[in-house]
Amino acid sequence: MSTRSRTTRRGFLKASAFALAGLGIAPRALAAPKLNLKKPIKIGCQTILSGPLGGYGEFMRKGALLAMEEINAQGGIGGSPIEVNFRDEELKVDVGVKNARYFVDDWGADFLIGIDSSAVALAVGEIMPSLNRILIVTHGATEKYNEDLVYKKKIRQCFRISVPVYQDGIASAMVAKDFPVKKWATISPDYEYGKTSWKMFRSTLKALKPDVEFVGESFAKFGTVDFSSHISKVMAAGPEAIFSTEWGGEAVTMIKQAKLFKVFDQTKAFMSPMGAAMDVLQGLGPDYPDGAWASGRYYFLYPESAENRRFVEAFRKKWNSYPSYVSETSYAALYAIKKAVEKAKTLDIDHVIEALEGLEVSRPAGPCVIRKEDHQAVYTVPWGRIRHDPKYPMPILGDLRVIPADQYYRKPPFPPVEA
Amino acid sequence: MLLFQGLVGLTEAMYLWLVAAGLSLIFGVMRVLNFAHGSLYMLGAYFSYAVLRAAGGNFWIALLVGPLLVAAVGWLLEFGFLRRVYRIDEAFQLLLTFSFVLIFDDLVKLVFGPVYQSPPTPKELSGAVFVAGSILPAYHLFILGVGAAVGVGLWLLLERTRFGLIVRATAADREMARALGVRSSRLFTWVFIFGAWLAGLGGALSIPVRAISPGMGELIIIEAFVVVVLGGLGSLRGAFLGAVVIGLLHAYGLLYLPVFELALAYVVMAAVLIVRPRGFFGVREA
Repeated sequence: MSTRSRTTRRGFLKASAFALAGLGIAPRALAAPKLNLKKPIKIGCQTILSGPLGGYGEFMRKGALLAMEEINAQGGIGGSPIEVNFRDEELKVDVGVKNARYFVDDWGADFLIGIDSSAVALAVGEIMPSLNRILIVTHGATEKYNEDLVYKKKIRQCFRISVPVYQDGIASAMVAKDFPVKKWATISPDYEYGKTSWKMFRSTLKALKPDVEFVGESFAKFGTVDFSSHISKVMAAGPEAIFSTEWGGEAVTMIKQAKLFKVFDQTKAFMSPMGAAMDVLQGLGPDYPDGAWASGRYYFLYPESAENRRFVEAFRKKWNSYPSYVSETSYAALYAIKKAVEKAKTLDIDHVIEALEGLEVSRPAGPCVIRKEDHQAVYTVPWGRIRHDPKYPMPILGDLRVIPADQYYRKPPFPPVEA
Repeated sequence: MLLFQGLVGLTEAMYLWLVAAGLSLIFGVMRVLNFAHGSLYMLGAYFSYAVLRAAGGNFWIALLVGPLLVAAVGWLLEFGFLRRVYRIDEAFQLLLTFSFVLIFDDLVKLVFGPVYQSPPTPKELSGAVFVAGSILPAYHLFILGVGAAVGVGLWLLLERTRFGLIVRATAADREMARALGVRSSRLFTWVFIFGAWLAGLGGALSIPVRAISPGMGELIIIEAFVVVVLGGLGSLRGAFLGAVVIGLLHAYGLLYLPVFELALAYVVMAAVLIVRPRGFFGVREA
């Protein structure tokens, strides 16, 4: 009681500030060290912002803007505010390279993030040493990026914060091995991503379950608007299960048409590595067949952590929409940059690269470590089955299968994938 | 199996046919290559979707009203803009119509958002039938029916009505038609409105089975151009045949030449253009 009687107005304020800090309301603002770096720190983000897949870029942009707002409210990076600029990647290699050069040479970017297309990620990755900047890829999933560019060619400027195609081709097979089916077929994109995932899926599943057969495949060109002839071709081979890495609007169209062709009545399992992306969940809505297996690069209800819940709520408050996985990865990329720079205490690229290597990043998708050997973020994304829950405006995943990331991530020295 | 794959290819051809028909009609009569025609297909999808939601999910009302709204946009386009560029170089017409592709893409993104939308397939048509031992969706049968009906309807309209006579006369010789008292400006407006309606119909028919998104028009316009060039610029018979050829090439290409399927349509187009530069039914330019 004696202390209370001596409480002054100033003392009370001071105590409140500490109490607030203790509640976690402003601790980061207080903790942000002053580093006297350039102001502002500029981050160039390129993503697909036009055409039928423009929705993807919107989701990525929104995640990055949310992170920017939060980081700046906490005093930026080491006291310097950050500024994020966006350019349309158009999924074209020449455009991607031009964007990267523009960001660095004309706009003065300190970091590059983004990139949806694997081909663009590889091309931009190749020029990062000459641009002398760090690139953190937030979507393009080719394993060639971390295995070849970083691990084999030693391009140290390249990082990736989103899961690689291991999620699509290896984790999927580890889940699929328990299904009571032997005959698989695929309808997948006719480029790098679709081909590699199918190859990894076959190779992993064959090793786990030697009596499986792969009876049919149909690869659809980018921009396919009708999958009917792909479906009729593949179904004629009599598969018991379908694996499909179609994504975005093409996944929506393919699944709708497969439903009309009664594919889900004639087969016992359907696996869609990109099927739990928010755009697919929203696009199919009530039409999404119950029980279809789906995954993504992050799923908004996993993990059930305070950090994830806070992210989803903040995203919904700002954008009136649930986050897609590219929202989480671009958000995580900015926080990874913040953490690495504050650890390196400088913007000097060699020091920031060293800080990023092995960095543990706490992110909405859960704990994550950036592997030193190939600069690949290692974190777990679950697989699950589509179910309809009246609590959400879109279908969600039930029956989650969580395979720890270190079990399905390929490891150095990355032997060739046999299929 | 073989027969069935062809049938599936034909259903894909019907969407192409609806878009290519309007494109070809507009070119035949007005000599305008309407790059924004794919956007009219997209607007058909978005308008019908909006009507469908307003009408409590009734697909048939959407199918009726959506394309009419696109026809109204067609009127606005012709009356407000295209009319002003008939007399100048074709490059400007392309530029103008291309600018509308970008404008419409951004407008639908602003109004409807960038996310994919797709209403459920109407109950009446969500079943399936056995054809040649395989399962064909009822909706695909319906599309085949609509495509054939539009073909017959267009033939009747052009060959059996006074409007059709005027359209054919103007397409054959614009100056002569004008000298004979055809008010070509009014005709142009009606032809453009009609072409827009056809594209809108294609878009409206697509919504239960294809994802609606900004930019969906660009995905179909290139193939529609191939169809029109293949069939002969300005020829409706040609557009129909061209669409069927492309649809079948796609379906059978997947079976027999999957590696080459992507290029197949273009190779065939190039071959046809070398052997027969005006396409299947094109009229030799005077």
